[in-house]
Amino acid sequence: MNDISLSAITGFDSGPTVQLKELESDHIKFSLSNVDLSVANGIRRAMIADVPTMAIDLVEIETNTTVLTDEFIAHRLGLIPLTSTDVDKNFAYTRECNCTDYCNLCSVELNLNVKCTEDRTMEVTSRELISQNDNIVPVTIDDQDPGILIAKMRKGQELKLKCIAKKGTGKEHAKWSPVCGVGFDYDPYNKLRHTTYWIEDDEKTEWPLSENAKEEQPPIEGEPFDYNAVPNKFYYKFETTGSMEAKDVVLSSLNILQAKFDELRNELKREQNMNQYN
Amino acid sequence: MPSTFHTLEREREFKFPSKTGSNAEELQKLSEPHVESFNAIFHVEGSKDGKGLLDRAVEDISPCVIFDGKDSNGSKGNKLKFWIEEVNVGKPSVMCDGHSKLLYPYECRERGITYKSKMQAKFCWTVNDGPENSEVKNLGYLPIMVRSSKCNLYGLSSAELIKKREDSEEFGGYFVINGIERLIRLLIIPRRNNPIALIRSSFQNRGPTYTHFGVSIRCARPDQTSQTVTIHYCTDGNVTLRFIYRKQEYMVPLMLILKSLVECSDKEIFERVIMGNSDREVQDTFVTDRMELLLRDFKKFNLYNREQCLAYLGTKFHVMMDSPDDMNALEVGKEFLKRVILVHLNDDREKFNILIFMLQKLYALVAGKCVPDNPDSPMNQEVLLGGFLYLAHIKEKLVDILAAIKGQINQDIRRGLASVDFFNLKYIQKVMSKVNVDVGRKMEFFLATGNLITNTGLDLQQVSGYTVVAEKLNYYRYLSHFRSIHRGSFFAELKTTSVRKLLPEAWGFLCPVHTPDGGPCGLLNHLSHKCKIITSEYDISNLPKLIISLGVSPIYLNPVITEKQITLSDEDKTNEDLMEQTIMVMIDGKVIGWCSAKKAKEVADTLRFWKVNGRNNVPLDIELAFIPPSRGGQYPGLFIFTTMSRMMRPVKYLANGKKDMVGSLEQVYMEIACLNEDIVPGVTTHQDFAPTDMLSVIANMTPFSDFNQSPRNLYQCQMGKQTMGTPAHNLPSRTDNKMYRLQTGQTPIVRPKMHDKYKLDYYPNGMNAVVAVISYTGYDMEDAMILNKSSEERGFGHGVIYKSHFIDLTEKCPKGEPNACYFKFQQNTSNLRNLEEIEKAKQTLDQDGLPIIGAKLTTGCALYSYFDETSGQTKIVKYKEIEDGFVQEVRALGDESNNRGFQKAQIKIRITRRPIIGDKFSSRHGQKGVCSLKWPMVDMPFSESGIVPDVIINPHAFPSRMTIGMFVESMAGKSGALHGIAQDSTPFQFSEDHQTAVDYFGEQLKAAGYNYYGNEPMYSGITGKEFKADIYLGVVYYQRLRHMVSDKYQVRTTGPVHNLTQQPVKGRKRAGGIRFGEMERDSLIAHGVSYTLQDRLMNCSDYSQAYVCKKCGSILSPMAVPNTTVVPSKRESVVCGTCNTHKYIDLISVPYVFRYLCTELLSMKIRLKLEVD
Repeated sequence: MNDISLSAITGFDSGPTVQLKELESDHIKFSLSNVDLSVANGIRRAMIADVPTMAIDLVEIETNTTVLTDEFIAHRLGLIPLTSTDVDKNFAYTRECNCTDYCNLCSVELNLNVKCTEDRTMEVTSRELISQNDNIVPVTIDDQDPGILIAKMRKGQELKLKCIAKKGTGKEHAKWSPVCGVGFDYDPYNKLRHTTYWIEDDEKTEWPLSENAKEEQPPIEGEPFDYNAVPNKFYYKFETTGSMEAKDVVLSSLNILQAKFDELRNELKREQNMNQYN
Repeated sequence: MPSTFHTLEREREFKFPSKTGSNAEELQKLSEPHVESFNAIFHVEGSKDGKGLLDRAVEDISPCVIFDGKDSNGSKGNKLKFWIEEVNVGKPSVMCDGHSKLLYPYECRERGITYKSKMQAKFCWTVNDGPENSEVKNLGYLPIMVRSSKCNLYGLSSAELIKKREDSEEFGGYFVINGIERLIRLLIIPRRNNPIALIRSSFQNRGPTYTHFGVSIRCARPDQTSQTVTIHYCTDGNVTLRFIYRKQEYMVPLMLILKSLVECSDKEIFERVIMGNSDREVQDTFVTDRMELLLRDFKKFNLYNREQCLAYLGTKFHVMMDSPDDMNALEVGKEFLKRVILVHLNDDREKFNILIFMLQKLYALVAGKCVPDNPDSPMNQEVLLGGFLYLAHIKEKLVDILAAIKGQINQDIRRGLASVDFFNLKYIQKVMSKVNVDVGRKMEFFLATGNLITNTGLDLQQVSGYTVVAEKLNYYRYLSHFRSIHRGSFFAELKTTSVRKLLPEAWGFLCPVHTPDGGPCGLLNHLSHKCKIITSEYDISNLPKLIISLGVSPIYLNPVITEKQITLSDEDKTNEDLMEQTIMVMIDGKVIGWCSAKKAKEVADTLRFWKVNGRNNVPLDIELAFIPPSRGGQYPGLFIFTTMSRMMRPVKYLANGKKDMVGSLEQVYMEIACLNEDIVPGVTTHQDFAPTDMLSVIANMTPFSDFNQSPRNLYQCQMGKQTMGTPAHNLPSRTDNKMYRLQTGQTPIVRPKMHDKYKLDYYPNGMNAVVAVISYTGYDMEDAMILNKSSEERGFGHGVIYKSHFIDLTEKCPKGEPNACYFKFQQNTSNLRNLEEIEKAKQTLDQDGLPIIGAKLTTGCALYSYFDETSGQTKIVKYKEIEDGFVQEVRALGDESNNRGFQKAQIKIRITRRPIIGDKFSSRHGQKGVCSLKWPMVDMPFSESGIVPDVIINPHAFPSRMTIGMFVESMAGKSGALHGIAQDSTPFQFSEDHQTAVDYFGEQLKAAGYNYYGNEPMYSGITGKEFKADIYLGVVYYQRLRHMVSDKYQVRTTGPVHNLTQQPVKGRKRAGGIRFGEMERDSLIAHGVSYTLQDRLMNCSDYSQAYVCKKCGSILSPMAVPNTTVVPSKRESVVCGTCNTHKYIDLISVPYVFRYLCTELLSMKIRLKLEVD
């Protein structure tokens, strides 16, 4: 993480520290110290809304004789997470792509063609979606995972459609967000007094401590209140939709933040240069 | 552990619906009053002879008798007696390819026809009482109630119902009229066979000497039709009996009726009224005085025995009764008594007894010894069931047929037609064919309009509003139609509000919260969910004997009254003395006998013990109302009711814990505890099974309603019925004009037990939302709510509307001409002019002229096209709605004749409605709000665990409304979601002294690691900083209401104007403007913004320019003249017609209506003069 130099912005003497507590492919738990609240929140926001993933955006329905309506199926398809590792590098946003409509550089085609021929209820799942790109496929946990249910069909019903998955961000539509809610916490003992706990009788019995409390020193009775203290340790915890590795979501978010700062820096520089000439 | 949400059980029920009964038996019971009352028309449950009400009604119709005046035997001529027998109704069927096949309701709904079946009757006649002739005639097609015994769905199981394209839980109770489901509303009417004391000032208007005192009784015949009689007290001591017959009011002296009922002396009547007090020194001479007056007054009639009285009645009522000419006065008198007076009894002696009782009650009322009964109280009311009203109407129509036949024959006789020959079968048949016997069509009209066309009035107070559409907006609304009970439209106009009052007597029968606010408040009530309406008869033939055997003296014995009873006034009597008083015992308005009140109480208690235990054949559903003697309270007696239409409810009989049924009259005098702590040992005899028994089904669905301020529960009852939910499961075979459906319905985490009992999970009505109570952006002010944009994107609140378009091509052709139109879309046309139009129409239309299923329709798209043979042109009809829609279904509708292909079609269009700003949502606690903003998830506040609320509401919604139930639901929902359990929210489960709801759910929250009281620290999504205050965050079930901006927004710049006034038209549909009215004008004047005022009222409205003649001041006289000058100037071409010059003409701007006003005034010879500078 050498290329990220947050200390310049954060105002903390020592650089930011990340303490990783749990890491699995689909969830992560870590704490981040020595950064400002704004940066910490910026990362949170970037992870939810700015990390690009792939999701089905256009659905061309050829045949739909199921009981579900076209737009309802299209909506369901949109919400199916697709594996989106390195989407950032490998795909362009359709709006920025050179093609007129969409092309392989900015989109992936998935096809679904199912017909129920047996005399029992058939379940159409995300496993039936055939992707033209092996890297962009519907998420499955393991081989046993039946996939995400799209529709149920009875004998004679048919569903045939073409989906175009595009790159996008959670800012645009929630389906592109790679994470479920992002847990974010600081100051578990409320030493900074940012909040006030509502207490009916007894704080101890009514307010269970957060699990992050064990990372910090409990307040000492009679300790004077530090007016100048600022939060500096932030606890993150989140689960992904499966479209990206949890670790990648964090890294991607940092890259995005950095790119934004770079852009800001460049713009400022250009402004400065322009001022010099004037 | 099985899921408390019963998800898998439900899935199993859906996959394998019950093959023997219904999946939801409790749901089936909700329409019982409707279905059972309809079934009673054909077979009365529990009746001895197995006859239906229809048979009884037909028997009750008196034959019509006609004389042809031909002098063959006697002066009147031949006698023709004509009557109806054996009215039969079949099962609905339809002719299909020459053979008949059963008709099912779904077909009627889809085709827009009526669900009806053939009705036949046997017309019989004799001539000169000779041999009987008969002929069976069709009476048309009678609309049949769905799921009744005449319906083809009768007795079908859930699995079979699905095969017939119905919901698995279809409970029927309605009729299908022209494809629309309509039901007959339940109506509250006076309790039958129960004399009630009334004080009504309107009684004084009946005539001179009439006072406001009266005793009224609504007597019901065995066929459930009724006749009300009232006895009035007059200032001269007289008592008259009043009744209304064929909408005409009649008054008869009571003594005349009494004396014509039985042969009796004055002494006998006197003694009966004063109950054996005659030979004693009576202190209270009130009754004796009046009786003397009454008896003396009757002397003026000079009628001395029964026969004379009957004959007198006969002569007076011969015309009214329309009696046969050969009937003598005596017989007419008897007939009159039989048909009009106290029709619930057959025996004249019994009629006499009840009249005496009524007289006693009247005197007690006049003397102030008893209070008047309250006709607005449920204790004196019963229910007019749809089936019974339906039957009464059929009966009247049958009577009308007989009358019409009589009229027809009489007309023929009057005209002196030679063909009149009673012995000629052909003639009789010809007469019958001339008469309109289509009862079915009349019944269809009644159901379609709710208007009762009646000559008799059917003893009812209104003529319209009897039927309503059973809207399937959502399941709650649908269901509550069958549980609603109306007080009558007569009372809606009444200025007094006493009828609307919620009385304690209604406990357990009518729901105290489920009534609309506003106009129909308190008049349109709903039955409590446990309230049962009796629809069967019981064999009570042994009951009088049982009562006598228990020590009640038969009526023909006179009571011996102790000295104490006579000498002491009521006020001085002790309670024991009061209980010694003699009171009457009655069964269904028939006097059985008398006994002391103490004895009567014993009798009532014994009978109750027997009925609860099922001993001595005392049915459970009878009502034993013992009204004890009191000091000036309700008139005492032991009144037993066994008839139909009564409201009864189950309660626990504490003596043995068994179920007892309690009626609305007896309940008032019983000791029924609600909760355990209400039980008073030695006093309480009964207890409610559950305190929620008093609530209606819908009111029961409000979670923790006991925590809310009561009006909020009332609002929820309203809003639950306006929710977008799941109206039905057989959507593809429904053709409702408009149907709302929630795509992403969920089962509530927090729900009362009743929710599972009535299987309302089959019809989800909302979604569980994470709700934060916080004043966040300012966009949640004044009941607005912020919706999480990402939640909405994931499907929160998504819904659709199905709209139906019915197309009838027969309407396109002029009336009377044969239909020359048929659906067709000719794609290749030589007409180049509309080539573009046809190209465009190809996108949505198929060759058959109907739209392609799944096609997207936008305004101006082709909806359908048809070919008109007369003009030889294909006409394309466009889709006119502003909103885009998709073609969901297309239905070609044929008819039975099937000779010209199908002329009708139905197109169902699906309109998607995702929540947008301005859409209305509500929790289940009367807390409605409008979505003011869709806020992105990143900007929303979040909790430490990363939970982002779906909905943000403002804390100010709570202090004044006090919907604490919503807070409790929020906590319960949160802990339920955390632990994965369904939370029971039945009201009255928690109490302050045991465990409070907060503690119960608080412990659960704590166990899950959350704050005990449901608060959580939250962070601003924008800055990431923790909020200064912790936030109340939980899970609340939210409903999406059907009021959506897409249906309401109205905007225009310029647009259509009214022809006459040139002002903008009104109405959203016509793209009209919003009225800038007087009050708005006032505010602009007050602000002093006159330019704005002029802009609004003139420039943007009906600005026009007019020429005015400054000399005569008229704007009407200037007129344009043809130009004669070479270089015309504008002004010169206009000349004032009266002044004959153009010099004074000027152009002014006026509102166009002003010109209109001038012409209107001119037409009334008023000149308007303008002073123009």
